[in-house]
Amino acid sequence: MESVTTNKRRATDNVCISYTGLFDSEILTILAQGIEGTLTSNDKVTKKVFKIFLELAQNISQYSLEREPNSSGESMGVGTMLIKEYDDYFQFSTGNKTTMESIIPVIEKCDNINSMTRDKLREYRRLQRNMPASNKGGGNIGLIQVALTADNPIEYGVVKCEDNNYFYIVSVKINK
Amino acid sequence: MELENIEIEGSHKNFFTPTVKFDAQTGICELSGESFLEDTAEFYKPLVDWLVEFTTKIKKPIAFIIKLTYFNTSTSRCILDLLNVLKDYEDEGGEVTVNWHYDENDSDMQEDIEDYMIDTGLNINIIPF
Repeated sequence: MESVTTNKRRATDNVCISYTGLFDSEILTILAQGIEGTLTSNDKVTKKVFKIFLELAQNISQYSLEREPNSSGESMGVGTMLIKEYDDYFQFSTGNKTTMESIIPVIEKCDNINSMTRDKLREYRRLQRNMPASNKGGGNIGLIQVALTADNPIEYGVVKCEDNNYFYIVSVKINK
Repeated sequence: MELENIEIEGSHKNFFTPTVKFDAQTGICELSGESFLEDTAEFYKPLVDWLVEFTTKIKKPIAFIIKLTYFNTSTSRCILDLLNVLKDYEDEGGEVTVNWHYDENDSDMQEDIEDYMIDTGLNINIIPF
């Protein structure tokens, strides 16, 4: 089941937008418009959240272990996204199911990204951009781009599910 | 040698398609709007092929104008491919001008353009609006 919740500001839990369900192009467009329409206070920050959303949402569509057919019958990833607003920053998080084999290189990549200065990270992005794209066209640079756009470390968490797979959560702060 | 112009109207629904205008008569090529596509490589391949045709057969001066307000990382690779064709042309004596317009509040975009200059060795005129 899919559910979208959009509120200007919920005093109790700071949630601006939350969504769980299929990540296909139709819902990506609706959510992107939701971001543009909801976080109106600062254009620069809204644009950063928008860019981060599109990179991470596309990762869910392509790589989530949990999959369902969309209206045209294509298999698309299922996942969760959450945007919370605090006084000084937005917290943007996504989560999806994965396997331990797939998650280890991603975690290593996050640690590697977090250890770099901004200049190093730009150099790393240039290096990756010059390498052949992965077969799904993600370019291997999505997470580097997320860290550069957020200008904050990538936080992540892994939770074991009952079916012995894992739920992978990635989260970044975007300063106001 | 006839090379047909490319004209693609951009859209902002179900993925974001950029506006493309490549003119073989004037040599003015413009890429604007937003780029977030279902199959990025499939969209950009004809544009790269067009530039290769233009720079190897028509060989007139070329002005490449980028006014993208948003592009995702898959697109960023394709932009590199386009710029590399222009750099090859310049290295062989072709006349190339690249103007990249960006929102002056978007410092991330400015960094991106600077990194493309380092990557390609092309001189890119960075023009804030």
